[in-house]
Amino acid sequence: MDMKDLNELRGEFEQLQRQNMQSDCEDGSCMTDDQSREDYPDYLAAIFTEIMPPVKSGIYISRWDLKSMAGELDESFALDVRERMFQKFMQWIGTPDDMKLVIEQFHNNINAKCDMYKEYSLKYPSSKYIFDAKIEKAQSAKKYLDKVYIEFFT
Amino acid sequence: MQEDLKTEQLARVNIYALISRILMNEVDEKLLKLITEDENMMSFFPEFSKWDRRKHMSAKNLIEQYLNVDFTNLFLLHLIPYESFYMRDDQQMETGGDNPVQALYNAFDFRVELDEARVMSADHIGVELEFMYKLCEAQYKALEDGELKVASEIAGIQYNFLKDHLLEWAPMFLLNVKLEAGTALYFDAADLAIEFMLSDFEYLTELKETTFIENALEESK
Repeated sequence: MDMKDLNELRGEFEQLQRQNMQSDCEDGSCMTDDQSREDYPDYLAAIFTEIMPPVKSGIYISRWDLKSMAGELDESFALDVRERMFQKFMQWIGTPDDMKLVIEQFHNNINAKCDMYKEYSLKYPSSKYIFDAKIEKAQSAKKYLDKVYIEFFT
Repeated sequence: MQEDLKTEQLARVNIYALISRILMNEVDEKLLKLITEDENMMSFFPEFSKWDRRKHMSAKNLIEQYLNVDFTNLFLLHLIPYESFYMRDDQQMETGGDNPVQALYNAFDFRVELDEARVMSADHIGVELEFMYKLCEAQYKALEDGELKVASEIAGIQYNFLKDHLLEWAPMFLLNVKLEAGTALYFDAADLAIEFMLSDFEYLTELKETTFIENALEESK
């Protein structure tokens, strides 16, 4: 068997795998978080759609959170509509290093809130599964931010 | 046993009424007096009881210069006290009849006067807590009437409402209220609301697994 046959065989095998996955998962329920996230034209749309909704990230990033995260980076903007404040924060990013700093701020905010979730879980064990689900989403949100960095800034 | 349940029940009724009222509208002098003149009530507000401004200002000035300003910042301007915002991918509020809690309220004949409550939709935190208050009140009445099976069913509804609604989103909102509060009253109120809902869920979980079921079974014999 030469290399061409081997490549054809590999191609057929991958296609077969894709078909199997599609038929097993027509409703998308078997996809991982990363697989189920859409592709976005820019990092601003990606973060606003995948991280800012509390239902997706498990945490609420408020206007004051945005202002205080920006403040940590010596950036300041007026309190405004949350989406506009988010856009202003994102527009501050000029280089990949800026993006790293912004991601670090998001990580810090997410970690601080997850720490509080963990405290409540310990104190009130019946609610643990509710907070665990939020912590899981928050961890996935942090991974997604790293992915956004790789996708749009490297 | 039933007396203990009734006492616990009355405490739950009162606390749900208190936190619902504080998180729904601005504080007025009557409410402030009710809180500050009752030692038990003040124990729920440890930071507020130590707050210097409270000790040195009249109730009217405190309300106008600090508490109402803070309420406006937290509940009307900067944070979003509506469940739908936290549960929807598009971060929008559901102000129409499609709001999931509205169907539930309708099923229990719980009418929300949005104008009177001065809220935009039925899934406001104050309204959801008032729904819990009404359920607790109904449960108390059932206990007083010796209707243990009915009381057990109402406890089940409370458990599900906390699990499926309030606990899914209110901690996210209330943690930010705690972090952003500019007055000791709203810091304490947010802390009280989170801690009480979570401890109440512990109570209802335990009740669900033991007492009410046993009582209901005993009654049906």
